[in-house]
Amino acid sequence: MSTRSPDIQPAGRSPLAVGGAESRPARSHRAWLRTLSLLARPITRTMPWVTLVIGCLAGVTYLAILANAADTAHWSLSQGYVRFAFVPAIAALAFVVRAPLRPLTQTTPVPVWVAEAGYLLLAAPVLAVTCWTELRIVAHTIPHHADHAALYPLVAQLSGWCAITVAAAAWADRSRYADLGGIIATLVSFTAVALVWYLPVTARFLVDPPATPHHVTIAWYVIAAAALALTCAAMRDRWHRYTRKPRLSPVRAPARG
Amino acid sequence: MTATDGGPTLRGAAVASAGGGSGSMAQQPPPGLRTVLGLAKAEASMLGRSALVLLGLLAGGAVIWLFVWSLQPLWWNTAWQIGSGQLIVGTAVLMAAQLAAGRARRDGMADLYASFPATAGTRTAGQLVGLAGAIPASLLLIGATAVTVQVMGAIGAPSITVLAGGVLLVIASGAVGVAIGTRFAHPLAGVLGALVLFLVSAQAYKVSAATTWLIPWDFKQDTLGYLPGPLAGYPPGGAHAVELAAIAILAGSVALMLTVRLSRARAVLATVGILAAAVICLVGVVQLRPIPAAAMSRMVAQSANPASVRRCTTSNQVRYCLDAGFAALLPSLEAPVDAVLAHVPVRPGHQLTVSQVGELVLDPTLTHGYPMEQIARWNTELQDSPAITSPATAIYLPIGAWPGFGARLADARFNVALATAEWAVRIPLASKTGVACVPLDQAREAIAIWLAILATHPPTGELQAGLSSGSTGAVVANTLVPTWTYPGVTYGQIDEVAGVPPADTDAGFLLAGVMTTLPEQQVLRVVTDGWTRWVNARTTDAQLAAALGTRMPSVHVGQLPAGARQVAVGPTARNGQNPVCTS
Repeated sequence: MSTRSPDIQPAGRSPLAVGGAESRPARSHRAWLRTLSLLARPITRTMPWVTLVIGCLAGVTYLAILANAADTAHWSLSQGYVRFAFVPAIAALAFVVRAPLRPLTQTTPVPVWVAEAGYLLLAAPVLAVTCWTELRIVAHTIPHHADHAALYPLVAQLSGWCAITVAAAAWADRSRYADLGGIIATLVSFTAVALVWYLPVTARFLVDPPATPHHVTIAWYVIAAAALALTCAAMRDRWHRYTRKPRLSPVRAPARG
Repeated sequence: MTATDGGPTLRGAAVASAGGGSGSMAQQPPPGLRTVLGLAKAEASMLGRSALVLLGLLAGGAVIWLFVWSLQPLWWNTAWQIGSGQLIVGTAVLMAAQLAAGRARRDGMADLYASFPATAGTRTAGQLVGLAGAIPASLLLIGATAVTVQVMGAIGAPSITVLAGGVLLVIASGAVGVAIGTRFAHPLAGVLGALVLFLVSAQAYKVSAATTWLIPWDFKQDTLGYLPGPLAGYPPGGAHAVELAAIAILAGSVALMLTVRLSRARAVLATVGILAAAVICLVGVVQLRPIPAAAMSRMVAQSANPASVRRCTTSNQVRYCLDAGFAALLPSLEAPVDAVLAHVPVRPGHQLTVSQVGELVLDPTLTHGYPMEQIARWNTELQDSPAITSPATAIYLPIGAWPGFGARLADARFNVALATAEWAVRIPLASKTGVACVPLDQAREAIAIWLAILATHPPTGELQAGLSSGSTGAVVANTLVPTWTYPGVTYGQIDEVAGVPPADTDAGFLLAGVMTTLPEQQVLRVVTDGWTRWVNARTTDAQLAAALGTRMPSVHVGQLPAGARQVAVGPTARNGQNPVCTS
């Protein structure tokens, strides 16, 4: 005998089966809220925390070692080291976008993308903390009187890298190679980033210098937005999901002749 | 991606006794060599065809190309750069090997695999031997690079031990990947392992100069490119190759220890691993030894007194002094020099010398292990005997800065031609004071540029791109003089070691451009007939234009705006002014 999971509602109490005298949009919103509140715990529990945290810690550790060496040798770290140190975190992010048991979950009333979106929402603060920590480590090595480079282009750039990686991972997860989706996404995104970084054609817009910090920021946020759109397209259901009940035509009694 | 994902059938698998699992090795005879070889053959085949490895091969080739394409290859440097490309292949092999080794656990198939005749230890041994599948990719990288750099006219001969070290690096990376995959099945482990390998190799030089040879491969080794020739013990190729082989053996031992169950086999593997670690420590100590003092002293002495190693030859009354081994450069230098001198009616009294010059900088990787007093003595020796004896009348070429081919080589030849022409018209080639002189309104400047264009025929568009149009320039008598600096001026670094070269002006270039549009024989006749007059610093551009029957192109020469600074001509003089070139 197996006990019922607390996350599973008894029949007839499904959040998507709420009825009553409320209007349809209100019922729909309430159903969604209840669904999300119920999904929060399994999403949090199935989130690949270990993968993400190891990736983030790897970069922070690398930067800490370099910062220690910089302190000893009296040189300072630049923002380029933050980019390097953020690479493991991005690699870990590629493994986060993964719908567990997709063949099963896509048959449930809840769209598959809810789990993946939940993972991304949970990963975002971890990545933000990692970025903040790495920036603090780098700032520690720069003398107070020295010029500090602007941070907003770097944040935009790292956001763009993350968005590209997530888009690649989402598309790989949708493909027949979903088992190796993480590593495929890692390689694809690293290759894409390296190409736009080193090709003169794209470097004119995406690398500071030659581009100005303002233009770099705009360009990377545009890329991030495009990647986000691709991610949304990749996360959608594979089959058409009816969102409204089918309208049944009333059965009329045959006319008496 | 991996062998058991549909690889070739194993012919040797039947040799292993039936019913064995990974946990029952104590009851089984040792895995047969044929089984291991059969597995290895399958793994090698899959590894060699792995998309990851093929991508790594492409990326490694691209990295090597980025390193070598811009300058004439020097084999003592290029051999190490090939290893940098092998590092990229190694990271790819590491990830592929990790995926292969971890697939049983990653797919949740460990129990199924345990029911196979081949034990887990046998499979791991097969994967380790199967790393030989990466060797063709590694050898292909070496072969393709060797052919390419030989075609580009590489100087010297390759070091076999350094090249072999690159192959061992790939094998060692794969062994580390197998060890990681045996313990950690998640693909991220392979990615992180590859990142650690790359970052350690690319950044370790920041930590300490002593770690240069202890890390798997120093990705950004650039001191070798400045050496005038191979230096004994730098890099310590043999010891480093042994270190990489020992790393491969250690990683293999760890991987096998994680999978075999037989205690006796584990003891043997532990012993092998300990021995490998001991060898790594031993060769680490060997690599940390300073470069032999005799070799260092000889190199410093040769840099301080290059006449002892420099072979000088005279051709067409021009003296060429090149280091031993660089004789292949001679035709590249003779062609532009002779082409210019063919149109010079009267040469200056002193002979033109074209000489290589070393820029030996005793960085910590070279001086590691020597006392400060000894380093100070070497530095004093280098400073007391400068190789550049006559900067104003000789052309100096830094060792290792000559381009290999293409547009950069054409630009370098133009630079040599222009320097030769400036020597012919008596413009000083370089100033040791740190301030460039300006041949302002001097006819000889236009003649020099015209001679250089006539000798090498550079693309007109590139020359035109050097016009400053008044945006930058030198400052003469508080007047901003637009200077002409075409984009290829740095290739070959002709002007960058002897001092600050003269600042050619927009006016001189524009008049030379007009001269190229006139019939060559007409211009030659005018130049030849009045040569003594033209090379006089007092003869103006307008006089030359009048003699040619043309008009002087208009050039905007403005007053120096408040706060303006000279941009194109090097360090600012104490009073913010550039002198006019005399002779």
